[in-house]
Amino acid sequence: MAVPRLTKPVVSAVLIAGSIVTLVPFYMMLAMALKTPNEIATTSAWSWPAHANLDNFHEVLSNPNVSFGLFFRNSLFIAVVSTIGVLISSGLAAFAFARLQFRGRDRWFIVLLSTMMLPGIVTMIPTYVLFKYLHWVDTFMPLTVPAFLGGGAFNIFLLRQFFLSMPREMDEAAYLDGASYGTIFWRLIVPNSGAAFATVGVFTFIGSWRDFMGPLLYLNDPDKQTLEMGLRTFQTLNNTQWHLLMAASVLVMLPLIVIFFIGQRFLIRGIVMTGGK
Amino acid sequence: MLTRLKVGLLSKVRRFVSKGLLPLVGAALFCGIAQAEPVTLRFTCHEGNEALKVLSGLARQFEASHPGIRIKLENNADYGTYGQKLLAEFAADDAPDVAALGNEDFVQFARRDALLPLDDFVAQTPGFDLSAYYPQIVKAHRYRGKLYVLPRDIAPKGILYYNKRLFDEAGIPYPDSSWTWDYQARPELKEKDFLWVMQRLTKFGTNGKPTQWGFTSGWPELLPTTLAVSSGARYVDDYENPTRVLFSEPKMIQAFELASDLMNHKHWMPNNVDITSVLQTNSRALFEQQKVAMFMSGIWEVPELRKSLKPGTPGFFEWDIARFPAFRDGNLILTSGGSGYAIMASSRHPKEAWELLQYFAGPPGMKALAEAGLSQPAIRAIARSDVWIPGPNTPESMRYPANRIVTDQEVDAVQFEPTSDLWTGIHNILNSKVEAIYAGTAEPATALREGTELAQNRLDVLRKDERLPLFRWPIGAVVGVVIAIGILVWVYSAGRKEKLSARQRREQRAAMKFLAPWFIGLAFFTVGPMILSFLMSFSDWDIIRPAKWRGAGNYVEALTTDPRFFVSLKVTMVYSLVAVPLGLLGALGLALLLNQRVKGMPIYRTLFYLPTLASMMAASLIWQRIFQPEGGILNNVIYGSDGKGNFLGLASFLGHYAKPGEPINWLGNEHTALSSLVIMSLWGIGGGMIILLAGLQGVPEFYYEAAVLDGANAWQRFKAVTWPLITPSVFFTLITGIIGSLQVFTQAFVMTNGGPNDATRFYMLHLYDQAFQSLRMGYASALAWVLFLIILVLTMIQFRMSRWVYYEGSTS
Repeated sequence: MAVPRLTKPVVSAVLIAGSIVTLVPFYMMLAMALKTPNEIATTSAWSWPAHANLDNFHEVLSNPNVSFGLFFRNSLFIAVVSTIGVLISSGLAAFAFARLQFRGRDRWFIVLLSTMMLPGIVTMIPTYVLFKYLHWVDTFMPLTVPAFLGGGAFNIFLLRQFFLSMPREMDEAAYLDGASYGTIFWRLIVPNSGAAFATVGVFTFIGSWRDFMGPLLYLNDPDKQTLEMGLRTFQTLNNTQWHLLMAASVLVMLPLIVIFFIGQRFLIRGIVMTGGK
Repeated sequence: MLTRLKVGLLSKVRRFVSKGLLPLVGAALFCGIAQAEPVTLRFTCHEGNEALKVLSGLARQFEASHPGIRIKLENNADYGTYGQKLLAEFAADDAPDVAALGNEDFVQFARRDALLPLDDFVAQTPGFDLSAYYPQIVKAHRYRGKLYVLPRDIAPKGILYYNKRLFDEAGIPYPDSSWTWDYQARPELKEKDFLWVMQRLTKFGTNGKPTQWGFTSGWPELLPTTLAVSSGARYVDDYENPTRVLFSEPKMIQAFELASDLMNHKHWMPNNVDITSVLQTNSRALFEQQKVAMFMSGIWEVPELRKSLKPGTPGFFEWDIARFPAFRDGNLILTSGGSGYAIMASSRHPKEAWELLQYFAGPPGMKALAEAGLSQPAIRAIARSDVWIPGPNTPESMRYPANRIVTDQEVDAVQFEPTSDLWTGIHNILNSKVEAIYAGTAEPATALREGTELAQNRLDVLRKDERLPLFRWPIGAVVGVVIAIGILVWVYSAGRKEKLSARQRREQRAAMKFLAPWFIGLAFFTVGPMILSFLMSFSDWDIIRPAKWRGAGNYVEALTTDPRFFVSLKVTMVYSLVAVPLGLLGALGLALLLNQRVKGMPIYRTLFYLPTLASMMAASLIWQRIFQPEGGILNNVIYGSDGKGNFLGLASFLGHYAKPGEPINWLGNEHTALSSLVIMSLWGIGGGMIILLAGLQGVPEFYYEAAVLDGANAWQRFKAVTWPLITPSVFFTLITGIIGSLQVFTQAFVMTNGGPNDATRFYMLHLYDQAFQSLRMGYASALAWVLFLIILVLTMIQFRMSRWVYYEGSTS
């Protein structure tokens, strides 16, 4: 969008100020990750460590109970597989809700939304029982397979909103040219929804990466644990090891920052494809 | 053991399977574990890193000396979710063989026959001597005369850690077992009087604020309850089957008044606000930093103390432990922690499991943990040997504390807290009022009376539930099927009369194919658990025993007697009403700014999105520090570093809520705690921003070009072009924002846990407490369905009012 020259400095100033406020907690997190436990206890939370070093990171990475490399692979596998599943299956469902007419569509949509409205705490145990009888406990299946079967109301709803805002003439023309609905979806809708799919993909990946309750419930084998589970070993019943917890948090977050930085480029590409004609 | 609930679930699952899930199951079975020789025991525990290292080593030694038995150690350091997972596994008939349980949590399993009584094993094992264990700890793990947990450790909650250097400086002899306490200081007794010592070890700065306190306890309740019980008070009338809560008895009130006086008026002890909010620390850290001279807790503090107080390093000082003083008549009663290992009743290898118990909760396990300094052995002879009591051969790093024999002496004073599992829920309710005493915001007598009344009501309700008839599963199953069919009929009855053209029929068939994955997921993973939770909302179900029929009782209780239902609903609604609009406006503003072509835009986008990438737990802990009344950055900005500033007039505004002359205690003040959580939620607007940004990216640029050619100004362009085209994203953010805000949980759970005085008692916190603290899953389900209904109505209203949303490709 064209911006008048005068407003540019103002926009920049607002953004810089906002960024600083947003970054304050991260500064504290990083500072604590670089301090010794004694320094955390005796110095202000705002101070930069006197002798910043990576000892805490070393300690986290060399903890025999938390094999970071293995947990990283597990987290990555679960997150990648479920992201693929969600992108495909929620895209399909959202296309039907947004672009196709079928009997009871609006009521099915209410059913879809209602699955978001019940707190997960009360369905947790019945769901666990179900997966147990499918013999999926202690496998990655409970954490990945459901992604391929719907992908969650949140994502379907989100994609539906985007599909609904695309001009209808587009698929009408394709239909009259003899294109099947599958072709319309894959060749017209998907390529023009880069931003929407990137958003859903980023959300799903992050959600899966940071999930704690799911892996905790369904994975027993120490070799199947995820990073988020490893993170919790630094906060036990009567002791929070701040220095290690913060160092581990930074480590767990780093891959997400990379993923997001890549993902947000797709957000920009979205504008090129839909608007740049 | 197959409970009726499990039979119900089983048949439900079988129905799913027979409906055509078999191919999927077949594939899944290959992932299943084949049961073969040797026997594998699943062993679950909740240990921190050090103890886990010891247990892993023990497991390897055990396997070497017991060929034919393998151990699968399943550890979850997080105690809160440890219980949740164990319950879920138990409900699914998928419990481990052996579980680590303590005196505070085993009864909830034992009274429901989920654990195997160990008495027969004890009697039939030659050479096994239960009398070698401390009798108190064995008694604490018995329920209705049977032993369910083989104890591994004992930990009297009355170890007094003291700083020798501060005693020396004040010229006071170190405490020995002969000191006592009374309701007032007795200067004539000097160092034999606990309160006199406490006063002498307290120092005040020039501003009248304490710079060093005489004493603190590991958690606020510990001191008053120890005093009360030692002077003859009781928590409840019957510890196994309580019928009356006795927290408003005179002796109890007197003890709490003494504690309150010491914390809030004399300032010989820091109060709760001083410790958690002002200093942002905990009692042990205060001791380590020499800000308190004496510190009362259990022996489990030692490993951390040793780590931070290493001889020869800066910050080290001489320290030791002593017995907690007795009441003036010489009476001392302490509560205790204790834990061990239990065999789950569902285990198919009880004999092998008993071998494991004898090893881990016997000499090998106790010695290993004692040598690592981690826990006091439950076998008296080992607790008195040099693996636990420092001797000439003890390495220097393990010498502290030297006077460890008090751990053994104190066991004689031990009396365990109420063992009934009704106690957890009652205690929880009681504490919501009592907490205010530790913060200095309520008079002890009033708070205890109010708390006791609420707790008594709760106890009466819970006791009534004990006599309900069993849940009738056949009827439940029929109702479930009827509901499912009802929904299907309702969905398909829409537009049934219309005649469809050939194209419409084709479109309909295509739609069904596109929706097929979702339909499968809905039918197999979503609908079943949802309907089941709906049925359970009419039951009294503790997850372990068979569900009982409660009819509409849960819903009636929510609307009439539940002391927290309306409170939590109100808190949640207020939060939602403020946080959702603010968050939406903020996200929209940010998205509009970030849609500009300004240098470094990808960086800004990532920065603003960062908060949603952080671990919620770590972020909550950091935000606690931001809201600190003294030294917190928020108050630094408002009051300035000298405490005299008045940023934007906020200091004067907040003055109405803070104590005169003091900065506001954001999370600890009931007027500002909820606002603090709203502020924190605004930090996380990056999620909404990304969705709106994606919406903005979809606005074709030539629309703007056309608008500029027409001479539209910025506001007109926004109104005519941008706004209509992003309304679908705004609508989405609004709907999901409301749903999310009504289900807020983690931040409040970590940062305030509902307090102060229920000011942040979110609906989900209440629901969680009911489900997993009080084990009232039936009631929690009813709460969940009330919330469901509220959200459904709110969502439907918004859809009805959604004419402002513009869909470019709308078909109807």
